[in-house]
Amino acid sequence: MIKLIVGTEAMFFLALIMAFVYFSFTPDFKSHQLLNLDMKTTGIFSLLLFFSSFTYWRAEANYHKGEITKLKVWLIITIFLGAIFLFGQGREYLSLLNSHISVSSSIFGTSFFTLTGFHGLHVLVGIIVIGIVTCLTFLGDYDDKKSSVIGAVGIYWHFVDIVWAVVFLIVYVLPHIY
Amino acid sequence: MHETLGLLLSSIFDPSSPQARKIVGLDYGFIAAASLVLLLVVGLTLFITIRYRFKKDDTEPNQITGNRRLEILMVGIPLLLVIGFFFWSLNTMSAILPEHGNHKPDVIITGHQWWWQATYPGTSINTANEIHLPVGKKILMQLEAADVIHDWWVPSLGGKMDMIPGMHNFLWVTIDKPGIYEGACSEFCGQQHAWMRIRVIAQTPADYKKWLREHELNATKPTDTLAKLGAALFMNASCSECHSIRGTNANGMQGPDLTHFGSRQTMLAGMMDNTTKNIDKWLTDPQKVKPGAHMPRFIFGADSVHALAAYLKQLK
Amino acid sequence: METIQVPEPEESIPSLSVSDNQGLLQWISSVDHKQIGIMYLWLSVLFLLIGGGEILLIRIQLAVPNNHFLDPEMYNQLFTMHGTTMIFFVAMPAIFGFSTYFVPLMIGANDMAFPRLNAFSFWCTFFGGLLLYFSFLAGGAPDAGWFNYAPLNQYNYSSSPGIDYYCAGLLFAGVGTVSASANFVVTILKYRIKSMGLKQMPLFVWMLLINSFLILAAFPSLNAALVMLLFDRQMHAHFFSAQGGGSAILWQHLFWLFGHPEVYIVILPVFGIFSEVFPVYSRKPIFGYAFIIGSGIAIALLAFGVWVHHMFATGLGNTVNSFFAASSMLIGIPTGVKIFNWLATMHGGSIRFRVSMMFAIAFLIEFTIGGLTGISFTLVPIDWQLTDTYYVVAHLHFVFIGGTLFGLFSGLFYWFPKMSGRDLDEKLSRWFFWLFVTGFNLTFLVQHALGAMGMPRRVYTYPDVPGWGVLNLISTSGGFVMGISTVLLLSIILKALRTGAQAEGDPWDANTLEWTTSSPPALQNFDQVIPVKSTRPFRDYKRPDDADWKERDSHGK
Repeated sequence: MIKLIVGTEAMFFLALIMAFVYFSFTPDFKSHQLLNLDMKTTGIFSLLLFFSSFTYWRAEANYHKGEITKLKVWLIITIFLGAIFLFGQGREYLSLLNSHISVSSSIFGTSFFTLTGFHGLHVLVGIIVIGIVTCLTFLGDYDDKKSSVIGAVGIYWHFVDIVWAVVFLIVYVLPHIY
Repeated sequence: MHETLGLLLSSIFDPSSPQARKIVGLDYGFIAAASLVLLLVVGLTLFITIRYRFKKDDTEPNQITGNRRLEILMVGIPLLLVIGFFFWSLNTMSAILPEHGNHKPDVIITGHQWWWQATYPGTSINTANEIHLPVGKKILMQLEAADVIHDWWVPSLGGKMDMIPGMHNFLWVTIDKPGIYEGACSEFCGQQHAWMRIRVIAQTPADYKKWLREHELNATKPTDTLAKLGAALFMNASCSECHSIRGTNANGMQGPDLTHFGSRQTMLAGMMDNTTKNIDKWLTDPQKVKPGAHMPRFIFGADSVHALAAYLKQLK
Repeated sequence: METIQVPEPEESIPSLSVSDNQGLLQWISSVDHKQIGIMYLWLSVLFLLIGGGEILLIRIQLAVPNNHFLDPEMYNQLFTMHGTTMIFFVAMPAIFGFSTYFVPLMIGANDMAFPRLNAFSFWCTFFGGLLLYFSFLAGGAPDAGWFNYAPLNQYNYSSSPGIDYYCAGLLFAGVGTVSASANFVVTILKYRIKSMGLKQMPLFVWMLLINSFLILAAFPSLNAALVMLLFDRQMHAHFFSAQGGGSAILWQHLFWLFGHPEVYIVILPVFGIFSEVFPVYSRKPIFGYAFIIGSGIAIALLAFGVWVHHMFATGLGNTVNSFFAASSMLIGIPTGVKIFNWLATMHGGSIRFRVSMMFAIAFLIEFTIGGLTGISFTLVPIDWQLTDTYYVVAHLHFVFIGGTLFGLFSGLFYWFPKMSGRDLDEKLSRWFFWLFVTGFNLTFLVQHALGAMGMPRRVYTYPDVPGWGVLNLISTSGGFVMGISTVLLLSIILKALRTGAQAEGDPWDANTLEWTTSSPPALQNFDQVIPVKSTRPFRDYKRPDDADWKERDSHGK
């Protein structure tokens, strides 16, 4: 089921990415990317997000072993990393807004904020869901190993990471290469 | 269905250009093939439903589940038909709409909400709604949009082409004979999409040259008192902010150019005939005549309206 | 902690009266797939009446040239709402209604995989429709056409909030549609009775499985477009405005990437219904079961490769046009071949002309007409003449009405006894059939001619061109015949529900599992399910000597 949801969301991101790529061919666009986007800093935040996939994987592995305490620890770390990533996004958004780049300032602003914004929204939803799962873990709902929830949420979280890998590549890295 | 030269019924089956004729050929070919298919389906349906209808002493029929060979045939035959028509249509496409390359357009038509603007490169002509073109020559039209998407379509002259803001589109046409060819905007463009009719007036090369010469001239100056009053009103009221009349101070770009308004047969993009009575009606309350049009209602007295109409009518 | 009281149903399908102590509450809180299915169907009927009313007003305006019955702004809102309503709030809910009712029954399950999600999906659709219609009260309904092209859909050209409601209503309803589809995939893949493999699944279920994937893949494109439009309109983004660096044609690409699969989304389930109806009333198995599945899958895959055929006149160039012309022609083939499969099913059979079957037979002809006119558009130069004219309007109604709606009617007359436990009046139903088919053809056949004669679509009035007036008048009168027959249908349904004869469990001597239950089925569909060894398990059960899973010779004996 979660794979179906991931599949349909992937199509949605595909549409947003295609629009971004389509517009990236307009003049001025690349200069915006090079001038206003900080690949290095965002890169570091991105690594933290990718690391959160690893931490969730550890959480899941411990769940299957029945190590509930370790499960709780890894879940909390995952949430923390996800939150830091969002904080990083927020920081970048603020600096862009201070440079007068917004969703209405130019086609670059429009495509950038929409694509990264929807990704951020999906990260936020993921953090909330993992938060709920963590609370339920504390309440004892996952003391036995029979639930498929942990695995399903994991699939969603890894998907969010993979989308970011693609987005980061196209939005931040590609203009430096091409 | 066939009309005389004067006002041709603009049907796709009344081609007046080689482009339209090529399409008609394809049309007939398609109609023939499609009719055969439809006949086959209708025939089979009627035959089967009559022959195999339930009869009282019917036993359970043979439970056939399929026939591989028949299925392949059912795919194969349509596939062959489709391939044939594909190449025919490819051929027609490239004949009608070859690449325009570096060819300069003969006329640039811009779609506005809800009127047509035509400029003729190499001249200073900027006219509206009635598009004059020469016959016998392969004309390249450049199609632009000033606001939303519009579409140029004159059925008897050939296919249609969208006018999309930010894009330059092109259409080739060679008009056979002089006459009036009607068409319509064919992409929903807002409130008055219905009244964005097209009127192509095709002329012999000699007549066309004459028209070009006359239209390059600046506007005629009014001679009678009423028209003179109208002219003064035109320049003082805000008319000149939206409309242009070459040779006067009016050089607005929002609305149609009125330099030779009096020479047009129709007004409001084909909505009504260009008569003094209709101009009166329009000037009194545009929103009542063509609701939604971008011309605001100016509260003119009846006398002002008559004066303006007199002025406009003599702009031949 | 107190236990929460959840109203437990006493009857499987309670009456609709509000006076019953639990009637209405049970309906709106239900998570039972049968009740939800019925609610989808009633929603569809409601919007059919509204959408039909809208178009009758339009047809009055178009009955004569230069008419002033409706002003252009109202007209534009009406035709926009008509199209949007019919596709999103009539066709799709009706399809989901039959699907959610019958898929679990046909696979021997007791409910959908996620019953609460099922209810959620319905209510999303319901509220999406309300949100769309609220626009009439909030400053004006959307008025840029159901496909809402840019830049006309931008704030500076359409400042009334109608288009914002269009976006919000469709996004909301879209959530319902996508979640329902995910529900169907899981139900169909995981909840079949153990003995039913994929190769024993009824074709209706197969078509829904394929269709659900189509929905999951296609709706995101629409959602992306709607979201981008909302950003443009509300936050002054520049996705679709050329002045801001955006692209008007991007809207068309995103919309039709959704829009073309959407037409297959509303037709594939109906192909499934017909694949159930033809065998039952011909007393023969479906001809070419695997072939029908294969062509359904081919259509679903190809559906994403043809969208530009809605854009042949936008100037994308002959190379692009040629590619999409070829793909569009290709997709016509699996669609068309099914017609021959159904004919072959009837061939050699013993055909009963119940009203369900009458709609199926009428469909064969009407849909062929619609399909052929569709193929005419794949010949690009013909498209250049006829796109955006009444010829397209004729084509789309022949496939939407002659295809989708006839299929829904066929399903209605087939399944009504099962759902309600009542029989529909056969004589009145035949009147409905003839009236509706006559009205339909009267309305839309002439529109092919109108298009060829140069009448563009979406015009609130037209000049007095010779022939246009009389053809439009004929079309309008046909429309009213359709309207009257629709009211007749409603009265037939209501009469049956109130005083109709009791229906049997298996009125048509049918083949699939839903007919093994009572009419209507018990709350828990099945205690036990008969063995499933073929695509016609109930028939095998009733005729064990002539069961499908036994060896037969090539003549079917």
